[in-house]
Amino acid sequence: MSTSPAVHATHGDPRLSRFDPLQRVIYFDDFDHGLNGWTTLVGNYEDSLETMTRSYARHMQPMLSQITHWDSGTHGSFDGTYALKIATRAVPGERNTAIKRITFRKASRIRVETYFAFKPEASELKLSVLDVRSVGLLFDLQDGHERVMPHLRYLNALDGQRMDRWQFKQRSLPFRAVGGRNETVTHDHLNPQDWEDIPGAGQKLCFNEIPTKINWHYLRFDFDLERMRWLGFQCNDQHFDCAGVESIRMPAMPNLSCMLNLVFFCESDTAKRAFFYLDSVLLSGDF
Amino acid sequence: MASLMRNAYTAVIARGELWQGSVQTEPYEAAWAGEAVLFVHVLEAKGNGTAVARVQISPDGMHWVDEGAELAIQAQADDLSFARVVNFGGWLRLSVTVPPSAGITVVATLALKA
Repeated sequence: MSTSPAVHATHGDPRLSRFDPLQRVIYFDDFDHGLNGWTTLVGNYEDSLETMTRSYARHMQPMLSQITHWDSGTHGSFDGTYALKIATRAVPGERNTAIKRITFRKASRIRVETYFAFKPEASELKLSVLDVRSVGLLFDLQDGHERVMPHLRYLNALDGQRMDRWQFKQRSLPFRAVGGRNETVTHDHLNPQDWEDIPGAGQKLCFNEIPTKINWHYLRFDFDLERMRWLGFQCNDQHFDCAGVESIRMPAMPNLSCMLNLVFFCESDTAKRAFFYLDSVLLSGDF
Repeated sequence: MASLMRNAYTAVIARGELWQGSVQTEPYEAAWAGEAVLFVHVLEAKGNGTAVARVQISPDGMHWVDEGAELAIQAQADDLSFARVVNFGGWLRLSVTVPPSAGITVVATLALKA
């Protein structure tokens, strides 16, 4: 009689077996089960919505998509029907976001993992590989001393040129007071300026050959909350150590203690909607 | 227990936007939902008259057809109108016609339920 092969611990939950979480799963959001607390990132305002920074006022709500196309029907998600969809408007340079807001209970190492894909709206019968400018993620964090915002994006195309590289930000536009009561400030940290190449972080992804064929990609990003430092990231088979890669930093602000916000975003490079799909998101910590 | 609860989500599909002339909201994908209520809340109004917002559905998020439900939106502050829809397929949006005499700044909301 043959014996059964050894079973890996994660095979107990096949949904987890394609992730490498740290010791504690903080959240595991499979979008086959709903929006799971993901919403849109609106800008700050006082008294009137008109005080909101215009780029933030343009952000729209994320949605659950079956990834259905005019020519081939429903594509579906990695392991089910629905994926989180972040869609820009059909305007060059437009961006959109999805955010989940929690706080941390221990300033440990954290890891976010996701399976993602991106495509422009399939409004033309051509390759359309240069229509999505970028997709990315950022954390908005605060400890007792600083607010720290690591930004990471995959720059697919810029002004019609193929870029295929990962970038970060360590600078942002200055803060401005939102209204007249001095209660709220804002800064457009996702503005198009100040992105820098991560050294050696070029990568070609699997865009496929027409706008209605998508392939899922794995992304892992590690950050140290105790030292507020990048630890590295991985996309598919490439690992990037990120030595010397920094974050946007500023003195701690009122009302943001232990903030642990995670944002995914995408940008369009042309007058076509850019779609950023997330099959699932897993945030884990070393505690 | 969670699986017994009906999933629900409210999406703001226009936030403080000034509607004049002909306006379409961005496509919103919601095949998971069996029913939806669309609300339009007028924050500010210029002029007067009644705007009409037609609920539209789509097979692909790119080509649109009237579903049949409509909202009659009065060009006056704090006007609140709604329309209910079911069996709408995968996408929803509003196609709005505002009379030349009016401009309305609105919050439009899509309340979805599985």
